[in-house]
Amino acid sequence: MEAGALATPPRPPRPVPAGPTWRLADRIGIALCWALGALFCAIAAAIVIFMLVQGIRYVRPSLLVTHPTAGFNETQTGGFLDPLLGTLLVAAIAIAIALPLGVATAVWLSEYGRPFALARLTESAVEMVAGTPSIVLALFGTVVFSSPALGFLSRSSGGVVFGRSFFAAGAILSLVALPLIVSSTREGLQAIPTHLREASLAVGKTRFATVRRILLPTARPSVVTGTMLGLGRVIGDTAIIVILLGATLRFNSAGHAPLLGVLKGTGSTLTSYVYQNSPSGEGNQPSKAYAAAFVLLAIVLVLNAAVEIVRRRSQVGSWNP
Amino acid sequence: MHDALLIEERPHWWSDRRAELTLGALACGVLAVVLAMLVFVVTAAWPSFAHNGLHWFGSGGNVDNQIRTIFLSGDQGGPFHWQFHAWPLLWSTILTTGAAVAISFFCSVFVALFIIEFAPSSVREILQPVIRLLASVPSVIYGLIGVLVIVPFIGNHLITQGQKQSVAYAISLNGYSLLAAVLILTVMISPIMISIFCDGLRAVPRTWVEASLGLGVNRWRTYWKIAVRTARPALIAGTVLATARALGEAVMLAMVSGSVGFAPNPLDGVIFFFEPSRPLAATIISNSEELSSPPMKHTLYAIAAVLLFSAAMLSLIGWVAKQPMKKYAVRG
Amino acid sequence: MKLKTLALAGVATLALAIPASAGATTLIGSGSTAAQPYLLALFKGYTKLHPSIHFVYTPDGGNAGVKDVQQGKSQFAAQARAPLPSDAGTTYVKLFLDGLCLDVNPANKLTNVSIQQVRDIYLGNITSWTGIPGSGLTSTIDPFGRDTNGGTYNFFVSSVLNNKPPSSRVTPLLSDGLVANSVKKDPNAIGYNGLAYFTPRSGLKALKLNGVPCSALAVKKLRYPLTRYIWLVLPTANSSNKVERFADWVRTSVKAGQIISKVGGVPAFNQTAKKKHKK
Repeated sequence: MEAGALATPPRPPRPVPAGPTWRLADRIGIALCWALGALFCAIAAAIVIFMLVQGIRYVRPSLLVTHPTAGFNETQTGGFLDPLLGTLLVAAIAIAIALPLGVATAVWLSEYGRPFALARLTESAVEMVAGTPSIVLALFGTVVFSSPALGFLSRSSGGVVFGRSFFAAGAILSLVALPLIVSSTREGLQAIPTHLREASLAVGKTRFATVRRILLPTARPSVVTGTMLGLGRVIGDTAIIVILLGATLRFNSAGHAPLLGVLKGTGSTLTSYVYQNSPSGEGNQPSKAYAAAFVLLAIVLVLNAAVEIVRRRSQVGSWNP
Repeated sequence: MHDALLIEERPHWWSDRRAELTLGALACGVLAVVLAMLVFVVTAAWPSFAHNGLHWFGSGGNVDNQIRTIFLSGDQGGPFHWQFHAWPLLWSTILTTGAAVAISFFCSVFVALFIIEFAPSSVREILQPVIRLLASVPSVIYGLIGVLVIVPFIGNHLITQGQKQSVAYAISLNGYSLLAAVLILTVMISPIMISIFCDGLRAVPRTWVEASLGLGVNRWRTYWKIAVRTARPALIAGTVLATARALGEAVMLAMVSGSVGFAPNPLDGVIFFFEPSRPLAATIISNSEELSSPPMKHTLYAIAAVLLFSAAMLSLIGWVAKQPMKKYAVRG
Repeated sequence: MKLKTLALAGVATLALAIPASAGATTLIGSGSTAAQPYLLALFKGYTKLHPSIHFVYTPDGGNAGVKDVQQGKSQFAAQARAPLPSDAGTTYVKLFLDGLCLDVNPANKLTNVSIQQVRDIYLGNITSWTGIPGSGLTSTIDPFGRDTNGGTYNFFVSSVLNNKPPSSRVTPLLSDGLVANSVKKDPNAIGYNGLAYFTPRSGLKALKLNGVPCSALAVKKLRYPLTRYIWLVLPTANSSNKVERFADWVRTSVKAGQIISKVGGVPAFNQTAKKKHKK
């Protein structure tokens, strides 16, 4: 008999809290973890509480429904109804362009993807757009939309194209949202096990019908997540709006068609409104800027909550056992 | 036989071949737009590079004066001036982005570990949405917080009179500084890194962690040696994304970094942190109203081309760094 | 299905909420961001009198506005600096006056400064408050200014600095509001802002320049050295007579003068309302 085997019974395996048996490096590690975690919580709380306090001080429901007017006095300058509608409008245009394009690209990349070189090239291109600074995209937009060929998308008088409109801003913003939708949809599609596709093909459906009727509905939570993330980025973008939307306080439609004129004209969004009215702009009304920023953050919060709800609901009927 | 089992699809117009071609065409449309962007930006940037050669990236002369000369030459109709040595701007970009990413990476790893494992669950529930919210705050708000809180604090409480006088012949130290820029940029890009690191840590198979704990390894070493090592692809992805965001940040840095084309000198000691500078993206937005002057337009597009190129290089570096880790990957 | 109907309803409300203008003449302008608040208030006042006229103004900067007029993209532009030879093909029309005040933090005891001293400060020749008698401070000066975007910068450089670029000691900021903010927070600061920024609670102290206070009265009498006009830029050839009528209204009418004063400018040529004396 071996003395060692019966000498001591094995210790029950359980995580040991930091104690005197730990090495110094480990103790420093855990201390750093807690310290930095607490610091991060403090900073996050400070920012959130700052925005909350400033928002509650300055937000009134009347601000949401009054048109903005110009002036140097706080009482003269109205609310931010136009920027609010502008944010929703520009987000709608961006998502309307990015969603079909993004889902189509993701489906092609993950389900088809021949020739391989083209597929890899498209993948790299989408990744490059994800890393491009929005100011570079805005400059690209000024070049493209000032050309006479695309003059119908913004105001033009006598053959000279203005180049700034909701169409222009929305189109470039769709480039911002596109990589998020593509990557999220691809992950969702790749998470579906192959036996599902094979079963569908075995039953006789074409590949496209498989995609349409089985894969996309299953991957719908990922598509929604990607769309919401893209929407969040689109709503918070400042540089593209400032350069491509004209930053006029109210909607200035080009032409007389009710919706088309607005889309071809200039306007503003909550982000450019905050930019202009903060001390960094010519408006110099911090109270309105904080109120608008609060509304913006509230919209982002609602969006994030929606993403969470969709994610939780999707886990009920997911394919992962 | 059984209609429920046999699902016959008549060959519709959306047959497989056509569907593939349509989807492929849409995807290639996206590719075409991105390639067009590359072509446009590089074409518009070419005159500035052509007139300056490699000296574009070098130093020599006051960058702000060069910008002013370029703009006036185009605005007032004389012969165009092109001379532009962008080194102070490049150095400022390298400093702010490098420092912010380094500090943020160090902190984010620990914060992500904290959130995933060591935090009490109530704190964890609150932190997840808060992080996502922080990642979506527009950069103007960060700039405002910087201008209203951080810059006056640095200017009035951290910089001494003696320091100001020692450099008074060249620049004024008033709080708009490298320190303010790096601090706020770090806070700005941390939520991105933290959320991606958290996703990566969560994807580590629970069995691996429990096996390690079962062998008697203490909690810290388990997570540090096993979970963090496994999540290395996520660490790289998060770093690449955060670096891209830091490179492209224009509005906040234009408000907070001092906006002077000055290359901070590390040999200045403590004063180095208080020196003003101006990164590339902030230069574009500071001069965005001067696009009407042709040589200025080409110079600004040249700066944009440099930013575009660095974004592409980042993606490449990220891909290269992930390759050796594929054999340890949890998911392909 | 519910999501789709919700989306459709949303788009419909959006379409209805956005006002559509029908049958109006649209006058398109662009230019200075600093002049935007004045112009928007004037547009509102003018449209009340002539409801068929609709204005569109895009604040893309004074220089860009002039280029827009030269190229025909805009029918008029607003500019905050005097005409230059490069503005060929345009006619500049004076609209109203504005003054550029030098401001310091209230902790600074200075009340009067000469243009030569301001020039020395911004060119980097004087770096400490000890070189400016009367300030009561011994610290280094922190001068703040505007970045090159915009008429305020160009006006300051041409009027005070004689077209020399400011020294690298000057911190260029994105907007007038940021300059005012920095001066408010830094006891050693000096900066320049338009007249409209000096409200009683602004936290700024305006300096007298060469003994002349920076006030609406001094600006109107053209006694204050840094007085500037806000100009309307029109194309020399085929300018719209509707725009010209608007310019006349702004320059001469009583109502326009009241609007300009309320927003913070100084009416230059407008008639004032004759006070009715009660017997």
